[in-house]
Amino acid sequence: MAASAADIRSALSIPEANTAAGPSQPKKPTQSNSRKPEGISRELYSLIGPSAPSLAAQLAKPRLKQKPNFGGAAARTKWELRTFRNPARKDGLDLQHWTKAYEDPNAEYQFAKYNIQTTQYTYSQDEYTRFLEDSEWTKEETDYLFSVVQEFDLRWYIIYDRYEYTGGPIRTLEDLKDRYYSVCRKLVRNRPWAGDEASKAQLISSFQFDKDRELTRKKYILSLENRTPDQIAEEEALYVEVKRLEHTERRFKRDRENLLRILAGIDSGLPDVVEDDGGPLGVLADGVGPGISSASTTRKKSTKKGTQSAMEVDTPTTPSVVGTPAVKRPNNAKNAAFDAQHCIIRTETPSTGAATKAAHQPAYLRSYKLPSPKPAIAPKITQALAELGISLTRLVMPTRDTTASLEALLDATTALVETKRVVDRVNQEIGVQKLRLGMRERSVSVDGETKTDGDNAMEVDGPNAADGEGETEGEDGRAQSVMSTRSVKSRKHARRSVSISSVDTTSTRAGPKRQKRG
Amino acid sequence: MSNERVRVRGVSIYRPFIYGNTATVLTPKERDASQAPDHTHRWTVAVRSAASLPDSDQVGGADDLSYFIKRVTFKLHDTYANPSRNVDKPPFELTETGWGEFEIQIRITFVPESGEKAISFYHHLKLHPWTESGEPEIPPLDVAMKAGPVHAWQYDEIVFHDPYQNFLTLLTQHPPTPMPKTKRKPVPYHLANPASFTTSKGGVPEFNQEMEKEELERLEEARKSVIAEQDKWRAILIEKEKELERLLKEVGGQA
Repeated sequence: MAASAADIRSALSIPEANTAAGPSQPKKPTQSNSRKPEGISRELYSLIGPSAPSLAAQLAKPRLKQKPNFGGAAARTKWELRTFRNPARKDGLDLQHWTKAYEDPNAEYQFAKYNIQTTQYTYSQDEYTRFLEDSEWTKEETDYLFSVVQEFDLRWYIIYDRYEYTGGPIRTLEDLKDRYYSVCRKLVRNRPWAGDEASKAQLISSFQFDKDRELTRKKYILSLENRTPDQIAEEEALYVEVKRLEHTERRFKRDRENLLRILAGIDSGLPDVVEDDGGPLGVLADGVGPGISSASTTRKKSTKKGTQSAMEVDTPTTPSVVGTPAVKRPNNAKNAAFDAQHCIIRTETPSTGAATKAAHQPAYLRSYKLPSPKPAIAPKITQALAELGISLTRLVMPTRDTTASLEALLDATTALVETKRVVDRVNQEIGVQKLRLGMRERSVSVDGETKTDGDNAMEVDGPNAADGEGETEGEDGRAQSVMSTRSVKSRKHARRSVSISSVDTTSTRAGPKRQKRG
Repeated sequence: MSNERVRVRGVSIYRPFIYGNTATVLTPKERDASQAPDHTHRWTVAVRSAASLPDSDQVGGADDLSYFIKRVTFKLHDTYANPSRNVDKPPFELTETGWGEFEIQIRITFVPESGEKAISFYHHLKLHPWTESGEPEIPPLDVAMKAGPVHAWQYDEIVFHDPYQNFLTLLTQHPPTPMPKTKRKPVPYHLANPASFTTSKGGVPEFNQEMEKEELERLEEARKSVIAEQDKWRAILIEKEKELERLLKEVGGQA
């Protein structure tokens, strides 16, 4: 009887716990490494030892979730009413809210990070004429659109609601979206980009808008929504009918084939006997509702006319076409490593026929191919780059990457120089207009109306100060800019006299005007 | 044999190399020994591979370039006797003495397999130490002697477009030793990177791969600042245009 435990062990094929020790010897305290798991009675555990079957372990009484300790004074959170400022507000209004006392009182308002401004795109006249001309839109209306978009923060339904451009055609929501997004796309595409190409492509694709698709989509939805109960019922009836017809036809075909096999054998010369597996209908019947799946009724010669809407619904309803990046030629890592080791660059071979010997590009030094600026603006570019510590004519390491990088830099700088030139031109233009305005006003002010001139003269200084260093273009330009600077002087003079005494302004102001006319 | 002379289309293969010179001041003893007593410097002009040999006191030259270069011609100043010097076998370098800096025309003739014409370029022989400002300056000889040898090296790459099959094979049999990934020795000073003046101090310079990365960063930095500037100017321009429009309206309104 003493061996009963061992017997049971061998019956359960459990290895002997301590074979060395005889059964008569007192058991060593094996409990040290394995405590009795809960849920097993002590007797059973002593019988089967520490290798309790997992089932027994699962007998453990499920523990209840520990009660949350609401009562403890230590765990109680302190709340306090604090004043805070929402950085989205410009007026510095002090608001109050309850916060946990341990929170940092100087922390920024936690919801401030959600106040994200959309990037405002603006464009210059020059950019407009170069990229953004559209026969259906005037620049004024485009400007207006952008101002409305900015005001209502791209909430298109509100924009559409408030859009009121006098003198323009009536615009649909899609017209507005289309114009706005196409302008943004063109601007992003044509401006020098500070980041890498991938992020640029991503940004452009986020401005993707396909007007026609969007219109079609809405039309579909509209017609789908406008079905009468009768039409829906008819559609469903049609669907059931189609299923039934199809089923019958399939059975008929199968029967016919079987019959042919029996009569004429397998090579009966009827190769077109192929069992119809149901085609797209089988797929459609699985998950899509009857209203939509009846689109495939066109395949069947159903005598009843399907509703127009149901026929069109089948097209995908997502209008966005995200541009997929151009598929690159597969190039495995081994080849790349080989090419890198041997300094090989593979390019796409142009498919323009067989290259002749004359077309062969002779060997050259990398530094031969450094980009060069347009001759007309070369000095300005060289100067601008010199300020940045970049030499256009030499590179420390003329490699393919650095050459490309230098070229990108050159492009950006060219754009900058061009912009500055346009600014100069506009400045000049402003000067001329100011002059014209000033002359006219002066002639008015001779008649005793001094007030308006005083107001305008305040704004004269700013832009014309820059005009002095503005580049003059040709004789005409020079003459104009000289005129405008002179006019500034005279006008400054005039203003001063206004501020000193508004009594004898008429005399001083009339003076220079006559001089110029004479 | 016939398909050996077929051009491999769509492939460009290049070989990095360096050219330039090293110059040292002659000691008075050497000057006395030489035939031209007015010569103050000994210089070596060379065309070498870009990577340097470890523990070598010369710039570059880890690889023998004669597998694709047949001859290098250094055209010296006309005051030298037979100024056109041909070097037909490696090392492609020439050592001379002189007293002044001048432009050396270097002409590289390729092996016949390449089927390429020779290319030529210029190197300004540098004898006097680089200055921080970049302005040329001739220090007294004893000062220059203390400053140590002067190094003037330019990295460049020879690019072969659509090489002949056999030439491509020839080139791929000789992969160039890559330049060290990081800076182990001073970098060669270059005018396009004035910041390298300090890092070029202290011994024989060596070209490394970081130099290209550094230059890319420099260009990118410049491009970013140019674009920032451009954005600023565009905003100004748009402002101005608005003002002009307003003015035009005002002028038009009063007419």
